[in-house]
Amino acid sequence: MQANPIDTRQPSTEHRSRADTRHDALFRRLLKGCALLVLAALLGAALSTLWGGREVLFGQGLHFLTSSAWDPVNDDYGAWAPVFGTLVTSLIALILAVPTSFGIALFLTEIAPAWLRSPVATAIELLASIPSIIYGMWGLFVFVPFMSRIEPTLSDTLGRIPLIGKLFQGPPLGLGLLTAGIVLAVMILPFICSVMREVFRTVPTRLKESSYALGSTTWEVVWDIVLPYTRSAVIGGIFLGLGRALGETMAVTFVLGNSYDITSSLLMPGTTISSAIANEFNEAVGVHRSALIALGFLLFVVTFVVLLIARLMLRQLARKEGR
Amino acid sequence: MNEHAANDAIGMTATAAAPARTKIEVRGLDFFYNGSRALHGVSMGIPEKQVTAIIGPSGCGKSTLLRVFNRIYAIYPKLNATGEVMLDGENILDPAYSMNRLRSKVGMVFQKPVPFPMTIFENVAYGIRHHEKLGKADMEVRVEQALRSAALWDEVKDKLKRDALGLSGGQQQRLCIARGIALRPEVLLLDEPTSALDPIATGRIEQLVEELKHDYTIVIVTHNMQQAARVSDRTAFMYMGELIEFDATEKIFTKPAKKQTEDYITGRFG
Repeated sequence: MQANPIDTRQPSTEHRSRADTRHDALFRRLLKGCALLVLAALLGAALSTLWGGREVLFGQGLHFLTSSAWDPVNDDYGAWAPVFGTLVTSLIALILAVPTSFGIALFLTEIAPAWLRSPVATAIELLASIPSIIYGMWGLFVFVPFMSRIEPTLSDTLGRIPLIGKLFQGPPLGLGLLTAGIVLAVMILPFICSVMREVFRTVPTRLKESSYALGSTTWEVVWDIVLPYTRSAVIGGIFLGLGRALGETMAVTFVLGNSYDITSSLLMPGTTISSAIANEFNEAVGVHRSALIALGFLLFVVTFVVLLIARLMLRQLARKEGR
Repeated sequence: MNEHAANDAIGMTATAAAPARTKIEVRGLDFFYNGSRALHGVSMGIPEKQVTAIIGPSGCGKSTLLRVFNRIYAIYPKLNATGEVMLDGENILDPAYSMNRLRSKVGMVFQKPVPFPMTIFENVAYGIRHHEKLGKADMEVRVEQALRSAALWDEVKDKLKRDALGLSGGQQQRLCIARGIALRPEVLLLDEPTSALDPIATGRIEQLVEELKHDYTIVIVTHNMQQAARVSDRTAFMYMGELIEFDATEKIFTKPAKKQTEDYITGRFG
């Protein structure tokens, strides 16, 4: 067979390039659609809860936000107790979970020997995958009895401190805001910790070395270099955990005691938005039902406000650093 | 310390003309990464207030040697140095030697400019705060002095409150030098300080090194032989973890005593 001379003509690219343009446009529209879907879902959920709760939200107006009455018999509803409970339990959870996560993440990235790092990291990720109903059960059967045993000691020690003492006085029920906050802390810790660990690992070695070379201790390197460098991601991780704490339902419902009374003591039972909904949705009709859906809408608002505050805080900090 | 005795001890082939005092005296230094040996019995005397360059092919141990001088390697597990490194007659490898004291005496500038995520002012003030308590006014004076010594003051004096990451690469590197000299160290270690910079920024850094050597003992690691020839008084050539030759820069680049040195500087390998 005779060898063909090498074909040196340019292949026609016109067909290909027209198809490429078409595919690219299609792809871009597809991606935009995916992104818009998120917004649509969010907006839809907000609007439908607003609509479902209109009877209470617009019928009672400000009374619904400020009142702490919750009386299904007389159809008198106020959201303050569940909103209060939601904020307090989430705050307790953050106070406990953030420093602990920070410590674990730092230990794993800066101090732990290599062989210990990945088993502990995996264990933390496993914690995150435990369903909340399991935490609820554990909370009720194991943790609540434990808390009722140590609460008298808490009242006798922390309860005697002026100012914050009031938070720790009360009967040792085991159930209550503090217990719910602690269970929530255990639940959100893996999320916050995983995010922190991931972002601490992104800090360039040479940045840390530069700080050590100026005579910094490990703590100074972490506090002055690692934390500012990763700050927005760390705050993002904290708010991921907070978002979960605000909305967490089952575990909290089990251990919170479900009472609409607002007290100054963390040892007393309370209620949260999501646990109120979970407890009462079955038997709610009419205005009661509308009140529960309005609570759902409030949860949206609370979460949104919290996120907004986080954004503003970040911007403030960035300005201080001259960015 | 007796300079000639020191020279004999480290087996130098020619006596340098410079009568400088020895600032850092290295004796029989071995270094191990995870048990594998990276430096083999290095001995050398680094003269005070001169520029000493360390050259050699990649992986020859030149950066490792530099990183022993402020014990920065000690932040990692499983790295180990044995032998003696005497700074003004005290062995810095002795665990009793305070790390904080060592790092206030020996400053270091790294390969890539690494400003901290803070303002220009804070970048310089940061290190000072670890070692001294200064009032606001004193701190401002110190920061200005450091920035002036690093030939950066005129370019940044109006934007001290801005983020340091907004500076150009060359400015960032001079900021890192300012940060190092703000502690008023005695020794300045430069680890390939211009490898990430363009020729103009490199020129400015080299000029700066020239000026700084009046006040500081400078050790510079470089892969750029011309740079070593331009800025240094003495040059050490390393190969495979060993110090092959250490002599006056002029001699190393014109009449090296060892064949390996000659092969390297004439570009036959490395």
